[in-house]
Amino acid sequence: MLSIRQLQVSYGSSLVLNGIDLDVESGQCIAIIGESGAGKTTLGLSIMRLVEATVRGKILIDGVDVLALPEESMQDIRWNKVSIVFQNANNVLNPVHTVLNQVMEPMVEHSVKNKSDAREWARSLLTRAGLPQEKYDSYPHQLSGGEQQRVLIAMALANDPEFIILDEPVSSLDASSRTEIIGLLRNMAKDHTLILVTHDIATAAKLADSVATLYAGTILEMGPASEVLSRPRHPYTRALLRSYPNMTTVKDLQGIKGRMSRGTRGCPFHPRCTQAIAACSTEQPPLVPVNGRKVACHRGGIVTLLAAAGLRKSFGRKRAVDGVSLAIENGETLALVGESGSGKTTLAKTIMGLLPADEGEVYLEGKGLPVRDRNFYGQVQMVFQNPGESLSHRLSVLELVREPLDVQRVGTKEERGDKAIRVLGEVELPTDEDFLHTYPHHLSGGEMQRVAIARALVLDPKLLILDEPTAFLDPSLQAKIMKLMLNLQEQRGLSMLFITHDIAVARKVSDRMAVMHDGRIVEEGRSSELTTTPTHPYTQALVNGASDLHSGSGST
Amino acid sequence: MHVDLKKEVTHSSAGRFGIAALAVIALLAVFAPLLAGYDPIAQSAHSLLAPSWSHPLGTNHVGQDIWSQLVYGARTSLMVGVSVAILSTLLAAIVGTSAALIGGIYDRIMMRIVDALIVIPIIIVLILVAAYLRPNMWTIIVLLSLLGWQGGARIVRAQALSLKERMHISAARSFGAGTLYLMYRHIVPDLSPILLVEFIYTMRRAVFMEAGLAFIGISDPNVLSWGVMMREAMDYSYLNVWAWWLLPAGIALSLLIISVTFIGHSMEPVMDPRLRGEASA
Amino acid sequence: MRILSKRNLLTYAVALLLILSLNFILPRLMPGDPLMAIYGKEALVQMSPQLQAELVQRFSLDQALWQQLGSYFAALFQGDLGYSYYYNAPVFDVILGRLPWTLLLVGLSLILSTVLGVVLGIESGWRRGTRTDRTMLSGLMALNGFPDFFIGIVLLLVFGVVLGILPLAGAMTPYAGLSGGALVLDVLKHLALPLASLTLAHLAGGYLLTRNTMITVLKEPYMLTARAKGLSQRLLKYHHAGRNSMLPVVTMTGIWLGRVVTGALFVEIVFSYPGLGYLTYEALLFRDYAIIQGVLLLVATLVLAANFLVDLSYARLDPRVSYAR
Repeated sequence: MLSIRQLQVSYGSSLVLNGIDLDVESGQCIAIIGESGAGKTTLGLSIMRLVEATVRGKILIDGVDVLALPEESMQDIRWNKVSIVFQNANNVLNPVHTVLNQVMEPMVEHSVKNKSDAREWARSLLTRAGLPQEKYDSYPHQLSGGEQQRVLIAMALANDPEFIILDEPVSSLDASSRTEIIGLLRNMAKDHTLILVTHDIATAAKLADSVATLYAGTILEMGPASEVLSRPRHPYTRALLRSYPNMTTVKDLQGIKGRMSRGTRGCPFHPRCTQAIAACSTEQPPLVPVNGRKVACHRGGIVTLLAAAGLRKSFGRKRAVDGVSLAIENGETLALVGESGSGKTTLAKTIMGLLPADEGEVYLEGKGLPVRDRNFYGQVQMVFQNPGESLSHRLSVLELVREPLDVQRVGTKEERGDKAIRVLGEVELPTDEDFLHTYPHHLSGGEMQRVAIARALVLDPKLLILDEPTAFLDPSLQAKIMKLMLNLQEQRGLSMLFITHDIAVARKVSDRMAVMHDGRIVEEGRSSELTTTPTHPYTQALVNGASDLHSGSGST
Repeated sequence: MHVDLKKEVTHSSAGRFGIAALAVIALLAVFAPLLAGYDPIAQSAHSLLAPSWSHPLGTNHVGQDIWSQLVYGARTSLMVGVSVAILSTLLAAIVGTSAALIGGIYDRIMMRIVDALIVIPIIIVLILVAAYLRPNMWTIIVLLSLLGWQGGARIVRAQALSLKERMHISAARSFGAGTLYLMYRHIVPDLSPILLVEFIYTMRRAVFMEAGLAFIGISDPNVLSWGVMMREAMDYSYLNVWAWWLLPAGIALSLLIISVTFIGHSMEPVMDPRLRGEASA
Repeated sequence: MRILSKRNLLTYAVALLLILSLNFILPRLMPGDPLMAIYGKEALVQMSPQLQAELVQRFSLDQALWQQLGSYFAALFQGDLGYSYYYNAPVFDVILGRLPWTLLLVGLSLILSTVLGVVLGIESGWRRGTRTDRTMLSGLMALNGFPDFFIGIVLLLVFGVVLGILPLAGAMTPYAGLSGGALVLDVLKHLALPLASLTLAHLAGGYLLTRNTMITVLKEPYMLTARAKGLSQRLLKYHHAGRNSMLPVVTMTGIWLGRVVTGALFVEIVFSYPGLGYLTYEALLFRDYAIIQGVLLLVATLVLAANFLVDLSYARLDPRVSYAR
């Protein structure tokens, strides 16, 4: 078993790894995922004490703290107990020795085998790794990238170590080599404990039992791979998965605002986090168990922003909303899909408090809301279907956008004006005098809707409810507005409740979807799963009837 | 890539030492008439005198003042060294750059010639020519230059080739710049660090060769040189005159070569930035 | 690091041709009687009229230039390098007598200075920046500045004149009639100082080049790989880093051979060591042009041949080169 305790690695004054705690059980494969600069390679190299830096903490390999060992003893451990497969860059293998010799070398030098046995064993390893026999006596530069990677793998297996570290083993390979090498590694995983270090989430998904996300030298989330990768609990993990294209991606890619910087006080991710609170900037959150995995977050992972439980609203005999419960997480987009008359708009209005609910509760960040007060509206805003109607034709653009600030009495008049102008800039509208004094009926449909969005954003809400925001717009404009919404979400960390009848649009903008029919939620789940394998017949009907550019039978 | 040659040299302790020593020798050479007590060729006293106030290093076998000979000898070494370096570097620059820029057959022919000349030991040709032509100093300078530029030409050519491909050259071409303009505005300035290094190392070799030729006895008999001094002193090595006759000449020569070597070494990171970080020596 | 291209046979042939031509042209450029130009006044005085006539005949000196060229090359192929007036024997024989001494000196010196230089360079490069490295670096760079003849002079003075423990001249004690082990010892004693001078003078070349290469090699990824394999310091230094650092040294060996030969010339003069260098010096003194030409031709050919062999062997040492063919 490999245990890392409070590992700190710094180069001079620059702290690269900031207190890593990790346990790897024998026979497991753990993947450390992170972007460049996160410190993953340093972590891999530290285990073998190959970093030229100040190292503090403990690394226990089968109970022995390797950081406390003298260098000669470390030489014994290297390759015998733990070996490493480097990323195949240029010159990782010595150009003046044959690959067979290089695979043999550690066996002979560590006196694990004599020369002829070593040669035999090295050959068998190379065969297992899939290198053609005639290439055993080649020099590294005579081999392709994929072949060199195989040599590296065979070499790592030479002394049959218990632990093998893999540093980006397939990143520099083409697709077909990649698949083969991953197959090879899966085989290796059966007999060895693997520590995979990579930025490639797909590889991690294919190989790892458990996964740890590394950010700026700290582990932010750790747990079983299948769970963490499908239902991330830490805002960074979620953001990372969102920026990563794969064959199940439906929502457009989103980046993370800001840049990674080291030496941030408190939680390393907090400057870019969508749900940071005061504590996040002063204290670093510890990695604690939460629901079967570990998360380093003062708020225990992604929080639920808004939750509705058992809402009911009837108009006379018509039950518009018939026992609806849903939850919107911080930073996510939930699409509410249904046909007209399904009750979506009623639900939205109920949540907003524009219509009183007959039954049920709404919770904002866990707290119940008997009354929708100013505070609530400061956090939840709505954009309505028809901007022509939701914008008063008596007020100019500036006055419209400033209105919520006026009502809530935020700052001075001047400050409100400035804020309004800034938000207009965010939604990509002009901010010159002429435009500010224009009246909505002189604007195009797209411009009006942007004004409505700006107005909704001016109070810096956490949740934006959008009721068919593009229903009255041309498709090309629709695309622009969609992109704008996604950008705003990326920039501001907004959560969105996106109401639409068009499941194709919903698929493009949402993380999760709830399908509503006759006042009830009939199916709910991740957008990618829901649209590819819908279970409820109504959902299936929606999917089948959705816009499809194929002629003939219109099914996806 | 921006390289500051002056900084490289002055930051290295080897470079500083080299410049200091070179400066001292240069001063000796320049102010020779003032510093020498006597006309070095004139017979100013008895032969083989030990050092005294009037003759700080004594006299040689024909009564000439050794100290005077020493300071005048500095002139020879420096002059030959610098002249050969200038001519050689010029040749290397011209041949190397033109070969790189013109390319084609011209390039291939020039490089064949260069390669052939590199492998020939210079001393062979020098002795051959000197034996027949009994050269004077200028002939020697020309010969040394003609035989020493090849290594530099290769390096210049390689550098010019890589510069040719650079973006800012292509950009200038896109404004319609001609080859000559490119050469003088973009390529040669970028070549100067390398040319300087070549200059230094050529100078070093030239000083060595001149002294060597003088030592063997095939240099200009009218010119005073440290090599000649050493040769003459060798004949009397069984007497203890070597301490003030043989050694000073040899040490002066070695000091000059060492100083130039040190300067050259401190400039080397110019050619290969990976070597940067040599704290001293 | 100097950049050398792969030279092929043609290049060497061209070089040889240049020297041969020079050898041929120079004397014939001089005014006056060609025989006198080739052999010199002093020589002519010593030669009998029959000898003179024979030489004129053999080298077609009374005929047109191109015929002279023909005879020149014909004679060369037969190994006829002319006649030495001073030694009163064919040049070829005289040279052959002196050749072994020079080969001994130059060969041993080249090997010693290269091997020692490489080892010191590896050790120095490995410890870059430490006091040991800096001392070795300054020391060897300073050593590099002393011309080989001066080093020889100093060694001669110290060990020969002042301390008197090693002989001052020659390759063997004359008329001693030694044989077997005593002979070997005698030869070695006489060889010691010239060998030391030459080796010391050229040590720095290999050292600096190896050290520089070591510095870059140590930063290569495969060094980290080797460390990760838990290999000993010795293996890392020599088997992995050293093996790579050696390559530029091999390419330079040919050039260094030329330098060592040059150096041997001077060193032999200082120690009156009876090799080709000293022979040349004597010939210059006595204006025995035949000898000068002969020696220089032979030396040039040997150096070129050695360079060619080195080029060939480089391909075996650096697998990337052979593959790139």
